[in-house]
Amino acid sequence: MNANVFGVELTDELRAVVREPAALFFSIVMPVAFFALFVSLFGKFSSGGVSAGTTMVATFGAFGVISVVLMNPGIGVAADRERGWLRAKRVSAVPIGVTLAAKVVAALPYAAGVLLAMMATAAITGSLDAPVPALLRMLVVLVVGAFPFALLSLAIGFQVGSGAAAAVLNAILIPSAVVSGLWMPLSIMPAFFSDIARFLPTYHLAELARAQLVGGPVLTHALVLLGTTIVAAGLAAVSYRHARS
Amino acid sequence: METVLEVRGARYDYGATQALAGVDLDVGVGECVALLGPNGAGKTTLVNLVVGLLAAKEGRVRVRGGDPRIASTRRHLGVVQQSLGFPNTLKVGELVTGAAVRAGLARSAAGPVMAELDLTDLAGRRAAKLSGGQKQRLQLAMALVAEPRLLVLDEPTAGLDVPARKRFWQILAERRERGTGVLLTTHLIEESSAVADRVVVLDRGRVIAGGTPDELVARLPDRTVTVRTALVRARLEEIPDVAWVRDDGDHVHLGTRTPEALLRVLLAEDPGLTDLRVEGAGLEEAVAGLIERGAA
Repeated sequence: MNANVFGVELTDELRAVVREPAALFFSIVMPVAFFALFVSLFGKFSSGGVSAGTTMVATFGAFGVISVVLMNPGIGVAADRERGWLRAKRVSAVPIGVTLAAKVVAALPYAAGVLLAMMATAAITGSLDAPVPALLRMLVVLVVGAFPFALLSLAIGFQVGSGAAAAVLNAILIPSAVVSGLWMPLSIMPAFFSDIARFLPTYHLAELARAQLVGGPVLTHALVLLGTTIVAAGLAAVSYRHARS
Repeated sequence: METVLEVRGARYDYGATQALAGVDLDVGVGECVALLGPNGAGKTTLVNLVVGLLAAKEGRVRVRGGDPRIASTRRHLGVVQQSLGFPNTLKVGELVTGAAVRAGLARSAAGPVMAELDLTDLAGRRAAKLSGGQKQRLQLAMALVAEPRLLVLDEPTAGLDVPARKRFWQILAERRERGTGVLLTTHLIEESSAVADRVVVLDRGRVIAGGTPDELVARLPDRTVTVRTALVRARLEEIPDVAWVRDDGDHVHLGTRTPEALLRVLLAEDPGLTDLRVEGAGLEEAVAGLIERGAA
């Protein structure tokens, strides 16, 4: 299987980005608008010498990337399955892994778009206080670290319809984001939120991203995300094998 | 005969439900084989084995000697589904070109196939907006552009008008001359009679009959009595001279080896019957009769 084939699969997926720009609203505009509201209200507060706006780029950035990578592939694969398109792909000469990888990779421009828009918003409001290399490291960490969420998304997309997939994925995303402190710092939330957050990969991805900007331990967060990737890959494989036609 | 599809002793079950109970099936180079049988006969399961969506629990399935579960083997396969919803965002030309590249061919391979299937003028149209017949042509173009050795067609002409059907089979005839084998499943039995070299009848997971359409018809010496009658199906099935009953909603078709005796009973019980015809059995009646008898 050569690069041309992956290129065709990826191009097909990216055409959806260009030709259905309405998806941009939910994937980019909404999280960024949400971020703009919070950063304009609280961005200039400071803790430990770091502006809240800087740490919010990491936490809201994690939310933005996860929401893109969690929603797009799963809903896409569910829609493909419903219309028979996934079956057509499965009986083609292209290994299904290539098709699914293209679907995941196609979500990355959205993810990068979300992050860049948030960084620009934080910079415009004067609350971004991090060097460019640190911001780039954070971008890479968030994009790579979102991989297990893409696998989880596919696992759900193989089992439910596109409408139900959106509902199920939102039901996972929103509570996880709140409990993991992606919208509001855990320090101002009830204590049990922190107890639960430690078990959530959303929390560990945000902390790993934050560590790129303000420093801090990374090993535990990285290991949790690695473990989550293994579990999510297993779930996706089992779900694919038992995918509803 | 050189084969492009070889199925040997294929068994498959869904838990306690046996879908295939040891099926053998061959499709030769350039041959068209129609797979017929009632709903639940195992046709879909068998097709899913052939296209690599399922793995046989026992037995083996080979497409040009390779396991269709392996992606590289499917390079030799083309599949046309009964109905396929294309993504809203892709255009006709992009889909055919993409199919060519996926098959390891140059993008330019798409042009002649699109012309062959009258799709050139639709190249810039979103595939999801096409009519049913255009979508079937597009599916066929995507399958043919890869120069497959085996085409698997699942109700391929459903929704096509008569000229479109003729054109569809004409194109396939040209491909068969170049060596492409065809496995066809359809409910249009008379159509399969016209296009298939061989018919394989599947019932309850077993091949109960196989041969050319003429051979199958010859195996059933029945005559078909077609009539409009007030008699209900249950009563018709009770008549000893009736081998099988088929009701198309307008007329009732009765299979019998003793049409004279049957006519006497019908006229005695329903003197008002109309539209009476007595004919030799066609393939549709032959298949119905073979299934009724569980022929081997």
